[in-house]
Parts: sequence; C-alpha cells; structure tokens
Amino acid sequence: MVPPEQDRLVYNIRLSSVGPGRVTGTDVVHELSGLDLAMKLHYLKGVYFFGSQAVEGLTITRMKEIMFFSLNDYYITSGRIKRSESGRPYIKCNDCGVRFVEGLCDKTIDEWLEMGDDSLDNLLVYHRAIGPELSFSPSVYLQVTWFKCGGISVGMSWAHILGDAFSASDFINSWGQYMAGLKLNGPLTLSKSVAKIEKPDDPTQLAKEPLSAKQVNPVGDLWVTANNCKMETFSFFLSKLQLLTLHVKICGEDGGKRISPFESVCAVIWQCIARVKEAYEPQIVTVCRKDPYHDINVPSNSQIISAVKANFSVTEADLNKLAMLLAEDQGLDERNKIEAAVEKENGVTDYIMYGTNLTFVNLEDAGLYELELKGHKPMFAYYSIQGVGDEGAVLFLPGPPSTESDGKERLVTITLPEDQLLKLKSELKRSGLLLATELE
Amino acid sequence: MPPTLPDFSSSVKLKYVKLGYQYLVNHILTLTLIPVMAGILVEVLRLGPKEIVNLWNSLHFDLVQILCSSFLIIFIATVYFMSKPRSIYLVDYACYKPPVTCRVPFATFMEHSRLILSNNPKSVEFQMRILERSGLGEETCLPPAIHYIPPTPTMEAARGEAEIVIFSAMDSLFKKTGLKPKDIDILIVNCSLFSPTPSLSAMVINKYKLRSNIKSFNLSGMGCSAGLISIDLARDLLQVHPNSNAVVVSTEIITPNYYKGNERAMLLPNCLFRMGGAAILLSNRRSERWRAKYRLVHVVRTHKGADDKAYRCVFEEEDKEGKVGISLSKDLMAIAGEALKSNITTIGPLVLPASEQLLFLLTLIGRKIFNPKWKPYIPDFKQAFEHFCIHAGGRAVIDELQKNLQLSAEHVEASRMALHRFGNTSSSSLWYEMSYIEAKGRMKRGDRIWQIAFGSGFKCNSAVWKCNRTIKTPTDGPWADCIDRYPVHIPEVVKL
Repeated sequence: MVPPEQDRLVYNIRLSSVGPGRVTGTDVVHELSGLDLAMKLHYLKGVYFFGSQAVEGLTITRMKEIMFFSLNDYYITSGRIKRSESGRPYIKCNDCGVRFVEGLCDKTIDEWLEMGDDSLDNLLVYHRAIGPELSFSPSVYLQVTWFKCGGISVGMSWAHILGDAFSASDFINSWGQYMAGLKLNGPLTLSKSVAKIEKPDDPTQLAKEPLSAKQVNPVGDLWVTANNCKMETFSFFLSKLQLLTLHVKICGEDGGKRISPFESVCAVIWQCIARVKEAYEPQIVTVCRKDPYHDINVPSNSQIISAVKANFSVTEADLNKLAMLLAEDQGLDERNKIEAAVEKENGVTDYIMYGTNLTFVNLEDAGLYELELKGHKPMFAYYSIQGVGDEGAVLFLPGPPSTESDGKERLVTITLPEDQLLKLKSELKRSGLLLATELE
Repeated sequence: MPPTLPDFSSSVKLKYVKLGYQYLVNHILTLTLIPVMAGILVEVLRLGPKEIVNLWNSLHFDLVQILCSSFLIIFIATVYFMSKPRSIYLVDYACYKPPVTCRVPFATFMEHSRLILSNNPKSVEFQMRILERSGLGEETCLPPAIHYIPPTPTMEAARGEAEIVIFSAMDSLFKKTGLKPKDIDILIVNCSLFSPTPSLSAMVINKYKLRSNIKSFNLSGMGCSAGLISIDLARDLLQVHPNSNAVVVSTEIITPNYYKGNERAMLLPNCLFRMGGAAILLSNRRSERWRAKYRLVHVVRTHKGADDKAYRCVFEEEDKEGKVGISLSKDLMAIAGEALKSNITTIGPLVLPASEQLLFLLTLIGRKIFNPKWKPYIPDFKQAFEHFCIHAGGRAVIDELQKNLQLSAEHVEASRMALHRFGNTSSSSLWYEMSYIEAKGRMKRGDRIWQIAFGSGFKCNSAVWKCNRTIKTPTDGPWADCIDRYPVHIPEVVKL
C-alpha cells in the first residue's frame, strides 16, 4: 500500500456511478465461459495521462455524459456478478454501472511522472477487488484525476473476468470515439456469448490439467489472489537503439524474421530471472498474445495463452534458442484446456493464470495510445496486472508516441516477489536491458 | 359453490334498468320539454295564422311598456354576463424530461444505499423491499448531486437542479405556445421543500427578464397538492385581472431533501421521490379560446389539518441522530381515504349527473330514516369524467383510489405509467399523467378530466378540466420517445 504521507497526494475523492443511458432490459444475463472464470482473480489497471490541451474545456459532467452513451454498447461492464444455484458465477446486466471516481492532485503531470515510484499509481487507479458482496461490487472503476497543470489522468480498473487487456483497451477507446463524435449509438443489440475457440482438440489432451493455469484454494466470495510473498512491480523503458542492439545480438546480422522484439526481450528477461532463482529456474513459461480474431465490439477473454517448455537449462542457454521457443508459432495454445478444466467443476473452482508460471504478456498491439481526447493522444499510458501469482508476470507495452528517433520505444513492467526484484535489477543491468541511469 | 349463471343474466337486466334510469333522469328537462313544445305546436297549427295575429293585436302594447321590458331584459342580460366568472383556459403546458445521465436504475439505487447505510443492513433491506413494490421503473431520475456516494446536497447544487428543471420546462412552454416573456402577467411557482432567498419565482423573473409589474407568488411547504393550489390561486387572480396570462410552475427539488439517516419511516421518500417539473400557461383572454387545450371548470380544496392525526401524518422533523427527514405515519392511507371522502362530498354535487345525485340522495335519506345498515351509495364517478389523473404518490395511493372510486385499470393507467416512468415527481405528476393521456391519443373534445392530489397537512385537492379541442398525438413532450412501450405490466414485486 501507499505510505500515509503520500496518501494525500490525491485528494477530494468523490464516488458516483455511471451506467448505460438506455434500459438494457429485465433479466438480461451474460453467461461467463470457463476461460472468463479462470481469470476472475486477476484485474487490469490502466493509466492514461493527458496534457492540458487535450482536456481544455472538457468538464467531468461531459465525460460522464459520454460514458453513458459508450456504456449502451458495453452494458455487460455495468452488470453485477451473481451466482446461480449451482454456485457458478454469471453477470446480471442490471445497468448498475461502473464506479466513477473524481480526484484532484496538486502536482503537475511532469512532476508526477518524475517521481518514478510505480506504487504511487495506485492513487490514480481506484481499485477494489470483487467481493465479499458479489452483487454490490462493480467490475470496472474509472478514475479521473485533475492535475495542477490542467491535465488529467484516466485510471481504469478492469476485472479480468470481463475480458482481456485488448478488450479493456477497446472499451476505453470506444469512450474516446464517442467523445470525438466518431461513434453514435445504434439500436440495442444484446451480444451473444463469444463462440468457443475453433481448434478441435484431442480429447485426451483436453483431459490433462493445463500448464498455464492452476487451481488455487477456494477464495469464496472475495476474489483476491493469495500470494505467499509480497509482490512488487517495477518498470523501465527500452529505447530503439537497445532493441536494435538486442535484435542483432540474438538473431545475428541476417535478422531472423521469426523473432520479434517481444521475444528477444522476453528471452533476456527469462534468462535473468532464471539466474536470480538459481535452483528454481522457471522451465515452463506462459506467453499471452492478442487473438487475431479478436472482436473489437464484444469484451472477451480471447487472448492466446500458450505454454512454453524449455527442456534445457535456461541460465546457460543460448538466447537465440530461448527466443525461438517463445516465437509465435511455438508453444501449446492452452485456452481449450483451461476452459475444459474449469468446466469440469462447472465453474465453481478458483483458478489463476498470470503467475502460475512466469508469464509474458505482449500488449504491443493493445491500442494503448488509441484513446484520443480532442484529437490528442495520451502523453503516457501503461497497464499493469493486479493479482499476479507467485511466479510473476512481465508486460511488454508500447511506449508513448514520440518524434524522437530514440527514447521510449517500449515499456517493460515486471511483477515479481520483492525479494527477487533487487537481484533481478542487477542481472538486467548486466544484460544491458536496464540502463544504469534508470536505477534509483 | 352457488351457480353464477342466473346471477349473470339478472345483472345484465339490472344494467339495462340502470342505463334506462340514467338516461331518463339526466335528460329529464329535455324529456319534459319535448311534449310541452309538441303541445304548443299542435295548438298553434290548430289555431291557424289569422287567429294568432288577432291574439297578438289584442295584447295592447304601448311604447313605454315595450321600452321598459326591453330595458329590463338588456339589464338582466348585462348583469348576468358581467357576474359570470371569467373562463380560465389552459393554453398549453410543458413537462420537464430529465436527461438519461440522471437515470437511476434499481440496482444503482440499492448499491448506493448499501454503501451509504453500510452500518444499517436492516434499513437497506427495508429500502430494497420498498423499491421492489414501489411501482417505479428503471428510468426514473435523480439530480446529479444525489448520484454521489455519499450525496453532496449543497445549496448550489439545489439551485442548479432548480435552474435546469424550471428553465427547461419554461423554454419548452415558450416554444409550444409562442408566449413572449414580456407577456406574462402572473407567475406562480410552487416547490414544497426548497425555498431559497431570493425565491424561485424571482429566479425565473431574473432569467427571463420578466416585467417589473408582474404579480409573482412563491408557494412553499404545501406538499404534493401544491400544484392544484397554484392553479386555484391563478384562477382567482385571473378573475380580478382581465385579459391576462398566468404561468404556473410546479416542481419539487430533490437535492436538499435526501434523507441521510436510517429511520425507516423517513427512508420512504428517498425511494419514491424523483426529479420532475411542469410549466403551465393559463389565460382568461378571449383570443385564446380557439387554441387552448382545456378549460378549467372546478377546483375543490379540502383541508383536514384541523384533525391532529391528519396534521401529523406527513411531518418533517429531526430523527434521533439529528438528521432531518420527512416522516410518514402508518395511518397515511386511512387519512387519505378520509380526505378523499370529504373532497368527493363537495365535488360530487358539482359534477355528477342528476341520476347519480338522485340515487345518492335517496340512499342517504333511506339510511337516515329507514335503515342505517344500508350500504352507502358510492356515486359512479366514471359517469362524470372520461379521464382520471391521480397524483402518483405511490402504488398504494393509486390502488386505494382505484378501489374507493371503483375505477377500471384503464382509468388509472395514466397514473400507474407516470409513476413507473417518472417516479413520484410530487406536484408535477398530474401533468405527466395528462401528457400520457394526450400521447396515447385519448383526449377528445368535450372530455372531462379529474385531477386529484394529496399533500401534507393533510390536504386533498381536485381540479376538473374540460377538453376544449381534440388533441393530436404530440411529437414532443416527455413521453415522445417511450409511449410505444406503454402500457407496461408492472409486477407486484420486482425481482432485484
């Protein structure tokens, strides 16, 4: 949590609710798939910073008003979770709304970003876990904080049960589009549940427990991941130069087309973490990517979740080999397996995915900088995951759009148990990913 | 089980007897006049024209007599026309339609209650039960300040709400009627629970730059029946001032009155009261006769405040923790029934057709003289009115009145649907109900409408209007976008 004196950095917190402007109807229910339920203990937290030109003349009333229209399409986010008689959770689309939070801060955005303390961003994203009263817990929280310079931050807390980071990003981008008048409400269409993933799997394979998601002890109605140790997050930027150097180092001069920056960086981080953990090096990792058939209009947990197994020692492995393992066409797509595992118990059991193994999430194409206010892109935006399991997670995010050729091309966020984090930082420095100036 | 078929045939026979009786008594004058006229005509024809001329000449009129009698006739006619009360016309009215951003679905209301009253699960349970049975829908609206957790009812927010509601309704009225602000001679604003200084009527005068010699009034504290009190006041003023326009604004400002405590009797208004307002243009100008929608026929006001129980049944006071709220007593329905009876007794003779009044008189005499055990005859008000607008105070009020006045579901449909769509908007609810009837295309020329409102004090006020011209289904107004969905079936208990 945040030290008490920093608590007062953001003040004048006011809570209200914003729901769909249109009545969704009585007894409209959204059924949750097995994959959705597997993600229920995870939450996404996104922050967007906008400079003063982007919000000139924009009032909170106007923002809320536009949200009402945007939520007409995303009425599922305004519903509340209930349990059926069998205990399986579902969403009742009762138009209850998302929680809208307003706050003030006496610093300018630049001063805030300079503080560099990632934990402070908890003040910009109002987050509460779902439960203990499921039917009174919003799945989405939106916080708008006004800074001294006239700019704002938009903080979103999104329950992963609703959808993956790509869906969360689509949701908030839709709001931006309504603001710009680019979208208009159409007639109410109740979205059907997402079709099951098409790949026909071998039934014997399906019966096995998935590698990338594991069952945890029952959490009851308070949906929080139980960690055995305190998890800490830290983030750092990668410049274009660094990425290029790394690419050359891993792929050689011919530039292997099969390996993208994401895989190269993840390979390096995998090795560093393996070196930190020594005897307990992670042999299996999970890689999450955007589903190419991802539907922009319906929030869903459609991201590809693949399990990658290294049959050799990671600490001594060739980075090229590791990177190849992580490539897009490698790894087993475990979505159907996870679905089957959850459905076996009819969705009553509790699972986690992020942090079951060391998880790498590629959010490069999540459209983070597509949220525009008055034609301006965010100064800076990033996502993090709340409720990561003990093995940790690494998020690979796009950097802010800038005209400089170098600078902040990509942002990497790493969540690990805090005792491993310091050692990891020195390993990353050694590998050249983390530049000396970025350490405190 | 006794066989029902014979009863049915006998009740049909009874129905025809009743119809025959009603026709006879209601048209007694015509029915007696026709034979008399026929008799005279037969006599005249029998006598022949020459005889009639002779009869006329024999009457020996001289000039003085003729002049005096014609002068007398003219004098009586003038006195009659001068002392006749001026006709008051309702030219048009406009209801405020809250924006969707103020919408409060059940689930949101309950969740906010749960968070605000977190120390009192019993009170939350109570509110949930009230809401389930309230007859409200998912589209009722609360002002922006009340959407916060906890609500932030500042005076500025209350003024803000008043401005939005009143100015929107007035703008809409100006557009509909073509009225110029400078032409308003009388302004009456009624809002029971919010009474700032300067008054809301001063706020309206300031906004629209009304004339400096305007007669403005601000009625506060008079409860949900204040709308009809304002109409009554406007009528009296329009009797005194010839050729004038009066604008009546009825509203209730919710922002300052959200009860923050947990006393059950005081939580009820939170569940039922919603944002709403109406602006009405009344006139006594002859020129408005052609385009006015309604003509005011009667206003009957009944006050039961002399009775202590009635006085205390809707009482604003502080609870044990010092929080101010409006406490509703358990005998509210009984007192409302009593007040209604009082009102009906006064209005009955004014509106009921002769047949009903005769029956009532006969049963009354019968009870007094012959047998006190005879059931009192409840006059059939459906004979006197085509439409009923019962203040949408709550489902219980409408049910009670439906039972007492023996009204059908269609008669109370306007009230139930207004309660469902807009909630209890206090004094303006009658106008949302009128608007519903118009939107459904049921308002025909000559239709008589009865508006009944109850209010703290305890008061029961009625107004009787007559429709001046058949009203085409309006394309604007608060029901324009949703009238096709109505009427809806409102279940006894809504599952939240």
